[in-house]
Amino acid sequence: MISLTVNGQRHSLDIDDDTPLLWVIRDELKLKGSKFGCGAGLCGACTMHLDGAPIRSCITPVSLAADKQVTTIEGVTPSQGLSPVQQAWADLNVPQCGYCQSGQIMSATALLANNPSPTDEDIDQAMSGNLCRCGTYPRIRTAIHQAAQHPLYQERRQPEKHHD
Amino acid sequence: MTELNRRQFLKTSALASGGLLITIALPGCASIGHEGMVSNSDWHANAWLHIHTDNRITFVLDRVEMGQGTYTGLVTLLAEELEVAPEQVDVTFAGVDSFYNNPIYKLQITGGSTSMASSYERIRIAGASAREMLRQAAAQVWQQPLSAIQADNGHVHFQQQSLSYGELAPLAAQQSVPEVTLKSAGQFKRIGKPEQRLDARAKVTGQAEYGIDVDLPGMLYAVVSRAPAWGATLTSRDLSAAQQAQGVVAVFEITAAGRQGIAVVAERYWQARKAQRLLKLQWQTPEVAPSTDSIISLHRQALEQNSGDRVRDEGDFEQALAASKQVLEAEYQLPHLAHATLEPQNCVVDARANAMEVWAPTQSASMARVAAGRHSRYSLDDIKVHTTWIGGGFGRRIMQEYVSECAAIADHMQRPVKLIWSREEDTQHDFYRPASVHRLAAAIKDGDVQGWQHRLAHPKVFEWFADDAAPAQYPFMPKFMFPALASAGKAGEGIIAPSDTSAYEGAHDLPYDFKSLQVDFVHSDPGVPVGYWRAVGHSHNGFVTESFVDELAHHTQTDPLAFRLRHLAQHPPAVALLKAVAKAAHWGQPLAGCQQGIAIHKSFGSWVAQVADVQVEGEQIKVKRVVCGVDCGLAVNPDTVKAQMEGGIIFALTAALHGEITLQQGEVQQSNFHDYPLARMTETPQLEVFIMPSQQAPTGVGEPGVPPLAAAVANAVFAASGQRLRSLPLRLTA
Repeated sequence: MISLTVNGQRHSLDIDDDTPLLWVIRDELKLKGSKFGCGAGLCGACTMHLDGAPIRSCITPVSLAADKQVTTIEGVTPSQGLSPVQQAWADLNVPQCGYCQSGQIMSATALLANNPSPTDEDIDQAMSGNLCRCGTYPRIRTAIHQAAQHPLYQERRQPEKHHD
Repeated sequence: MTELNRRQFLKTSALASGGLLITIALPGCASIGHEGMVSNSDWHANAWLHIHTDNRITFVLDRVEMGQGTYTGLVTLLAEELEVAPEQVDVTFAGVDSFYNNPIYKLQITGGSTSMASSYERIRIAGASAREMLRQAAAQVWQQPLSAIQADNGHVHFQQQSLSYGELAPLAAQQSVPEVTLKSAGQFKRIGKPEQRLDARAKVTGQAEYGIDVDLPGMLYAVVSRAPAWGATLTSRDLSAAQQAQGVVAVFEITAAGRQGIAVVAERYWQARKAQRLLKLQWQTPEVAPSTDSIISLHRQALEQNSGDRVRDEGDFEQALAASKQVLEAEYQLPHLAHATLEPQNCVVDARANAMEVWAPTQSASMARVAAGRHSRYSLDDIKVHTTWIGGGFGRRIMQEYVSECAAIADHMQRPVKLIWSREEDTQHDFYRPASVHRLAAAIKDGDVQGWQHRLAHPKVFEWFADDAAPAQYPFMPKFMFPALASAGKAGEGIIAPSDTSAYEGAHDLPYDFKSLQVDFVHSDPGVPVGYWRAVGHSHNGFVTESFVDELAHHTQTDPLAFRLRHLAQHPPAVALLKAVAKAAHWGQPLAGCQQGIAIHKSFGSWVAQVADVQVEGEQIKVKRVVCGVDCGLAVNPDTVKAQMEGGIIFALTAALHGEITLQQGEVQQSNFHDYPLARMTETPQLEVFIMPSQQAPTGVGEPGVPPLAAAVANAVFAASGQRLRSLPLRLTA
């Protein structure tokens, strides 16, 4: 039995240790927002947070996530409305087919949590592991800058500015 | 239009629930002129609009949404005339019905950048007719003249009184179907203005259900080990270890869509994957199996030995050649390309005693049904197909073999089964954009191009597509007739089936005014599975023709922009677009450290021109900026058009800089994104897209952004390095 905390909820699962976290989340917990793209950590469609850090869940054995906090796209979606990152995505019509966007949003959310005012270079760096076959990259970049303007991130930026 | 025909065109009926159901029937032709509706026999109902008494409005979308924006676009058309907010419309995806056939292809298919062009009039007519019937109903309720009744925002008003569409639906259903006058462009509230994507919320929260997300109670998971080369056969198998693996329910052989394979079915996906590794399979590859080198040789040989079909013949090229002082000749080559949709191929099938249900991310529900029927015990009438959100199509999902496989497996299991392809399987078993070889020659006299010759060797994609397509056109035929229908379809190409112009589209319609033009298509099929790939023939011919035009400009010492303007004078939209793109990109003043290249190409009815600013550093090609102009008629949603151009450019950038599938003895050498890389954010150039203002009917946008890009980049590389790169992907030599 593996004990897993996903989006704040604890689960005990009888599953092979080597099963990638992605399939446990999708098929056992029925949270389908995280996507399978490559199975090799090359495309980022399966990005989740493990204790707040973005990981590729398609190559993360479920055993590595035991007793840690897993957050998925469902977990960053507020019960009402959208998160600042999701809202910027919707405002700028970022998604096309949309398949990669859960992973993109998880990577962007993790970026902004660590760096509330990223530069273009910071964004390129943080997002270069997330592929988009539809080519929504320019809008993703703009959306991250727009999300960074949200009070949630602006407030966190203030103290640093005072230090300057 | 006669009264009878009008009634057939727009059938209404009161539902048991008291709602208004509108069935739009339309002629089986692309252009929906009113005269075209007189013929009864050609009419097919095409979409349903359902207004419920509780004010819900349901619209059945008969084109799939794979990112290109049809969902938002077609709802916008409906909402504009119906006078409702687009957000108020619930959308359901259409099942299989010949009523939903794409009038251009006579199949229920989403492709060819046709959704907006083929829906532009008919969906607005649907909305306008319903609105008028709701107004008529209100006029009856209030006993007022129709002219005093206004429809707005889901309600009908008379002075201070108002009724909702839901309240009026039962009475509206009893109204006679009126003649409608569609709004003029000046009356549009929504068309032509940027609308928010209606699917954005579902897609940013992870709630959109793609094919791979479909989940049925008691569902098993399947994976398939397929023949590594086309035509390879199993010579020995040892399935025992896999059969004994944990969670495995069954391991058995299937043959689906021409490929032999071993299916592993397990309780969980990962169990099936792990058991698959325990299979011991020996494959025999056909003696003559294609390798990349042999494919190029085969195409070259075909060009040398066969005259092919003359698909364009204007003026006298031979005479121009004899009279010319100079001949410029060049050979261009393009590789096979995978589609690499980010959602790998997958399918869910539930097989029961008397019925089969299929859930598939497919571009053609009707062909999916044929694919399922072909490989199972069920007749087409007993098979129901559900389409889902699609994680990228680009033509890949016009092919249906993942449906065939899953149908065969579920039929065997008599249980619900989900089949998922791995990325490796998806990369190695695609129906690829064909590799091709092109020979070009130009006759030049006194600095003027007197003749243009383009000879290309390429397979016929249609021959790989007809197996499911031909029977889908005749769903009433018994299954044993399917092979015959496919053969007849292939043999009748150009006679009973539409002519397959896909190899030479964008070549035979070269728009330049050279005095003689000769284009030959030489059929050459190396036996590699091929399919439709975003922009299809334009994807290679755009690169070839716009590169060679650039060669001619340099050869005749003419500025590449000036050369194009001079030889496209008979196409005013192209001239206006070229001038606009040159201005926007500051043609002649490249970004620091860059050189510029320009290209223009017309595809799917739309002109697209691009200027690329490219930096060359050693062997590295860095695309810094692309300025793109598009003339696609009226842009129903300008932001969608821009998004499609942006996406098309980045899709084409992958092909220009990275894309290459190679084969060795029939086996594809690439497997995942490490060796079949896609452009990443770090490589994304600055993009500027503008739309030429137009009141013409809308033309395609999903594909036309692709064709000019590689040529614009290659032309800039030539300007920067002096190297003329005549094959893709672009590779500089030191």
